[in-house]
Amino acid sequence: MRTTSRSLLRRGRGPLLRALVPPVWRTLPWRAAAVAGTGGLLLAGSTRLPERVPDADAGWAVLRLVALLGALAFGFLLDDPARHTTAATPVGRAVRAGLRAGLALPVAAAWWTAALFLVPGPARPPAGPVTLEAAAMATTALALATTVIRCTDATRPGRATAVRLALAALAVALVPDRWGLLNLPGDPWWTGTQQRWASALVLTALLVGAGTPEPLRRWSPGRRPLAGRPGRTSPAR
Amino acid sequence: MTPAPTTLTASGLTLRYGGTRALDDVSLSLTRGVTGLLGPNGAGKTTLLRVLATAVPPDGGGFRALGHDPRTSAGRLALRRELGYLPQTPGFHPDFTAFEFVDYVAILKELTDRGARHREVRRVLEAVDLSEVRGKRIKRLSGGMRQRVALAAALVGDPGFLVLDEPTVGLDPEQRMRFRELVAEAGEGRTVLLSTHQTEDVAMLCHRVVVLAHGRVRFEGTPAELTARAAGRVWSSARRDPAARAGWRTGTGTFRNVGDPPEGADLLEPTLEDGYLLTLDGDSAAVTA
Repeated sequence: MRTTSRSLLRRGRGPLLRALVPPVWRTLPWRAAAVAGTGGLLLAGSTRLPERVPDADAGWAVLRLVALLGALAFGFLLDDPARHTTAATPVGRAVRAGLRAGLALPVAAAWWTAALFLVPGPARPPAGPVTLEAAAMATTALALATTVIRCTDATRPGRATAVRLALAALAVALVPDRWGLLNLPGDPWWTGTQQRWASALVLTALLVGAGTPEPLRRWSPGRRPLAGRPGRTSPAR
Repeated sequence: MTPAPTTLTASGLTLRYGGTRALDDVSLSLTRGVTGLLGPNGAGKTTLLRVLATAVPPDGGGFRALGHDPRTSAGRLALRRELGYLPQTPGFHPDFTAFEFVDYVAILKELTDRGARHREVRRVLEAVDLSEVRGKRIKRLSGGMRQRVALAAALVGDPGFLVLDEPTVGLDPEQRMRFRELVAEAGEGRTVLLSTHQTEDVAMLCHRVVVLAHGRVRFEGTPAELTARAAGRVWSSARRDPAARAGWRTGTGTFRNVGDPPEGADLLEPTLEDGYLLTLDGDSAAVTA
């Protein structure tokens, strides 16, 4: 017999999100974050070794690598082994993914700030442009993970995303400077580079937004009306 | 006796994966109680269940369950609030305990009052006989126990419509028996759609049965009606009868044949499985031994 009533349910979004925070926090990809985070901080910290006097170019290179490490970790953000078990719950994937991103963002921001300030002042790139690049890399990772989830039944898109992101980074390194993403301030194509990073950020963020709701196909009320005849069976019966 | 009211009506459900029609104009209706969904591998059972669980929208057709039409977001949300879904391969957060995982699903089902929610989680864990291991991490539980955690997650929040995709796969006979008890209990007052390969599950649990093959409904009726399809079409012989559409050697050494018997054949009492095999005739390979 059904024993409970529906009266114990639902009080609005606020209590729901508060109740979701602890379990969702626990399901964040802490291992990937720890590996990438530690690696990134060590890399940034290496610029302070006494025998090395980094210049501005080296500062850019180091922070771009740090940003790539962070983005690789971001690719694991949407890993959810319980994806199919929770596929048909009232709290949709968009809310859950948004909450994950919302919880990860302050941690990522604090980590990025620490990495930025580990690079000595003279070698440190201007915070705005390099942070734009880091943000674009992170949203690219999220967009790749979102695409994997949207197009497949994968529950852990992190590894596939990491591989694709690494390949994308390799491809970016091979692009000629004129169209490249790795120019430096003072280079002839610097302004275009920043515009391309900004475009990448906007496009991938839009892709994440569009791709997050499940499922892949859209429910369409107008496709074909219900017959409305209870008990109708297929002609093959 | 008045017929039970229809709780789900599906009409013309169609879904393609690439060039494959996973569902081909599927129409069916469900009432309260347990309805079995039988079909060979690749018949479209899981796809149909995913559609009815609102996890995947169909390409064509539609359905209405518990008065809700999932083609609108409001209808879909309303249906999901009354839905319990156990997927074919349920996944878990392995570091969660059984209690924590079911509690997490309960929150996703919008049970936000902590005290009431915890009581509900304890109730469903008790119902699936997992109270004693509720504090154990899921990665330390056996396959059967994990399956029961998934069932508890489907049951939490007291849903009116339960969609169970092959819940007895990988369970030993004792676990399967226990699972049958749980599903039978769940079927009281609920609409339960149970996908299975096991005709015994259907014979023991279900008041209705739907047979699906190649994405089409081949049969919809009671288990007795499905069994009756094989009446006079099952016979025993010393050798496998070449006229039989399916035949296999039984434990007694004789052959059990299903198909169109020769004159004077030693007819046997048909089972649900015989009716199922004859219904699938032409859709799948004959059973031989």
